[in-house]
Amino acid sequence: MAQVAMRESPGRSFMPAAFRNAGADALCMVAVLLLAALIIFLFGGAAMQRVVTYAAIMLTAVLGLQIFSGNSGIVSFGHAAFAGLGAYATGILTMPAALQRTALRDLPQFLAGYELSFFAALAMVLVLAIVIGLLTGTPLLRLTGSSASIATLAMLIIVYTLLVAGREITRGSQPFYGVPREVGLWTAVGIASVALVAARLFRETAFGLATRAAANDERGAAAVGVDQRTARLAAWVVGTVAAMAAGAMMAQFLGAFSPRDFYFDFGFTLLAMLIVGGMNSSLGAFTGVVVTIAVIEIVRRFEGGGEMFGLHLPVLFGLTQGVLAIAMILVIWRRPTGLFGERELNLLRRPGGRAIPASAQPPLHVEHDRLAADHLSRRYAGVVAVDDVTLAFDTDSITGIIGPNGAGKTTLLNMLAGDVEPSAGTVSIGGAVRAASAFRFARSGVARTFQNIRVFPAMTVLENVVVAARQVEPDLGQAEAAAMRELSRMGLEKSADQPAARLAYGQRRRLEVARALALKPRFLLLDEPAAGMNAVETAELVSILSAVRTERRIGVVLIEHDMRLVMNLCERIVVIDHGRVIADGTPAEVQNNPAVIAAYLGSRTARAKTASETTANETA
Amino acid sequence: MIAQQIINAVSLGGVYALLALGLAIVFSIVGLINFAHGELMTLSGYALLACLVFGLPFPLAVLVAVSCGALAAVAMERVAFRPMRGASVTSLLLTSFAVSSLLKVVFQNGISARPQAVAMPGWMTGAFSFGDFTIGVGPSISIVVSALALIALELFLRRTVTGTAMRAAAEDFNVVRLMGIPASRIIATAFLLSGLLAGLAAMLWVAQRASVDPLMGFTPVLKAFIAAVVGGLGSLPGAVAGGFLLGIIEVLLQATLPGAVAPYRDAIVLSGVIAVLLIRPQGLIPAVRAQRS
Repeated sequence: MAQVAMRESPGRSFMPAAFRNAGADALCMVAVLLLAALIIFLFGGAAMQRVVTYAAIMLTAVLGLQIFSGNSGIVSFGHAAFAGLGAYATGILTMPAALQRTALRDLPQFLAGYELSFFAALAMVLVLAIVIGLLTGTPLLRLTGSSASIATLAMLIIVYTLLVAGREITRGSQPFYGVPREVGLWTAVGIASVALVAARLFRETAFGLATRAAANDERGAAAVGVDQRTARLAAWVVGTVAAMAAGAMMAQFLGAFSPRDFYFDFGFTLLAMLIVGGMNSSLGAFTGVVVTIAVIEIVRRFEGGGEMFGLHLPVLFGLTQGVLAIAMILVIWRRPTGLFGERELNLLRRPGGRAIPASAQPPLHVEHDRLAADHLSRRYAGVVAVDDVTLAFDTDSITGIIGPNGAGKTTLLNMLAGDVEPSAGTVSIGGAVRAASAFRFARSGVARTFQNIRVFPAMTVLENVVVAARQVEPDLGQAEAAAMRELSRMGLEKSADQPAARLAYGQRRRLEVARALALKPRFLLLDEPAAGMNAVETAELVSILSAVRTERRIGVVLIEHDMRLVMNLCERIVVIDHGRVIADGTPAEVQNNPAVIAAYLGSRTARAKTASETTANETA
Repeated sequence: MIAQQIINAVSLGGVYALLALGLAIVFSIVGLINFAHGELMTLSGYALLACLVFGLPFPLAVLVAVSCGALAAVAMERVAFRPMRGASVTSLLLTSFAVSSLLKVVFQNGISARPQAVAMPGWMTGAFSFGDFTIGVGPSISIVVSALALIALELFLRRTVTGTAMRAAAEDFNVVRLMGIPASRIIATAFLLSGLLAGLAAMLWVAQRASVDPLMGFTPVLKAFIAAVVGGLGSLPGAVAGGFLLGIIEVLLQATLPGAVAPYRDAIVLSGVIAVLLIRPQGLIPAVRAQRS
């Protein structure tokens, strides 16, 4: 009894390891921020305090950008617009009513006369941010990659146009003034600290993991059940909240501002800060802001021109922008991931840190089930890749799909995995699954690997598997334990904390299998699992696969060109040629099937072989 | 009046189409969204100004200015983007963003932050009439030039080896390199063409406004980005379609919107564009790309 309790205790500690580690990192960064603020508060002048306050506000905005762009890999220009919206909303909500009547004469009644305190206004702005985030994110995130970036740019222009044109509410391009200046050093530092903790923790949440996985490899992510649109939307909304909070503070910090303050240049400054530090981590955002603010403060002294070391300096326009641009180019050129973007602090993940215990719970035997293709066809512009295939696979079996190159094997597998929409026919797992959707299929028990490996190179080996485990384990701690179990199954537990990119080829293949198994699938589809492996690795793989099949009684379907592997491992073989099933049976049956020989070696060889066999039989 | 508006719409659409096409050519081959495209336009504008100030005859000045745009594009690729070859799409995009900012600062400090007047020949601001219709010379030239440029580019892409290689590279660059065609030549040609188109667009833009300023390229190129996305990022016919669509919608809204709503024009146009993308996320004419399983 005591032993069981001891074994369970590390897994049940108060927080999953990923959150413990993230929490420690966040607290460390917050401590540095608070310490810096305290030193400036005690020893710095009013000007220095303003600089640090400004830095804390920018940090909040940059973290908002990092939460979205850092995790999703989509550069956003729109966060400047969100900050603008936050600033104007706060301005209107906190402005003294008497001043409002003169400054904003045509303000609609429902917006007028709130005179809220800063924090009350902030609360309203945050609610507004969630609404705006959902409204803008839903359409924008239908786009991917560079198109999505440009769409955020369109959004920036839309918001700018609205701010300039909505004269009754914003005074148009004229300065909006009269906002009480209540945000000081400690308010800004406090809110920035919250943003730091949020950004650091967000990476490890289900949404953060899913967003990063989708940014690494879209199809791979869908194959492990990641609903990338929802995950991205979550990152977008959280980022919007942080950006609008920064805008709210900016309003009360500046007191007067105009739409131009939240347009392209502001967006550029935010991006430059994030890129210099490194966009992939909250540590990057933090250091980026610190470094660029320091540089800006130094450069600003020269902007007005004057004498310096006996040299006459001319007045320079936009010197700050120029220096930021050069800093950004240098960083991208010399260190593309930014000064600190490659990793978080990972204080608890140093060598000697506590390892995550593998879940002792044995994987369940799956109940009997059936994956069935019913009159499945797929045409590509005139080419029929798969032609009216009807097949069924049971759990507790291993089936090999073989056939010449271009026979339609991978297309069939893609349809079975929900990755490709059938032109005709249906796929069902127990009950029929609605329209082809890779992530829904993955969640309903069909896991797969790819011919060209699709692991998430920038994530750690453990994270790769946790993404999948999270889809079936609602609790992160249990997901981590389950992921460790699958890694040990595949002999990868030693590399758990390495980035997947560092694994050797064979290890990456095994990682992909571990990841698929973490989904607790009823069916495992493998697309050429032994491709590129040597004989030893292949033998290892065969033993692992047959062990997994007996342990869990799942249905394994694999495409393979290595005939020895297929004949040894599979108890049933389906042969496909020109998109049609030409043979289906035990290895022995298939090997002697004349149609199969014809497909592989040509019809003449087939006839010769049949003839020679007939003669042999006759002689016998 | 209606005829005049249609001419204006098509001429603005033509400028957007040239710019979007330049962006699309580079994007389809290198995967770079070139934020500094607007600065190529500005640079051509300043080159025209300089030529006219030095007393070059107008046609020669235009020729020099357009070539300056093209050469600047090639130089930009050589200096800023070639060291980054193989970098991620995001890094390329951010580099061009930084280059754009840097060039703006250079223009502001090296020339002037204020707009400089360009002395356009008088005949360009005239108009000719067909019975009741009065049609401006500027917009008409703009349409003719856009149309000629599009036809010439189409011929180049269809009839020459480099053009064919470029169309192939847009679908699958690696295979084109395996065919023994040097990558650098393809990329340099792509930038050259995009610079030529930016230069032409700059001439048309300046012809209608008769002034140059450091931010001249900023707004039209922003619109061109959006046109390229609406058309289908990386698709050349898509870029042209998107450019014309955006220009036409803009001018028509300008003409028809009541005064109180007119300031919201850009917001309305862009929201409409995003609505188009909701229905067709790949754009009007999606780009074809090689896919491997």
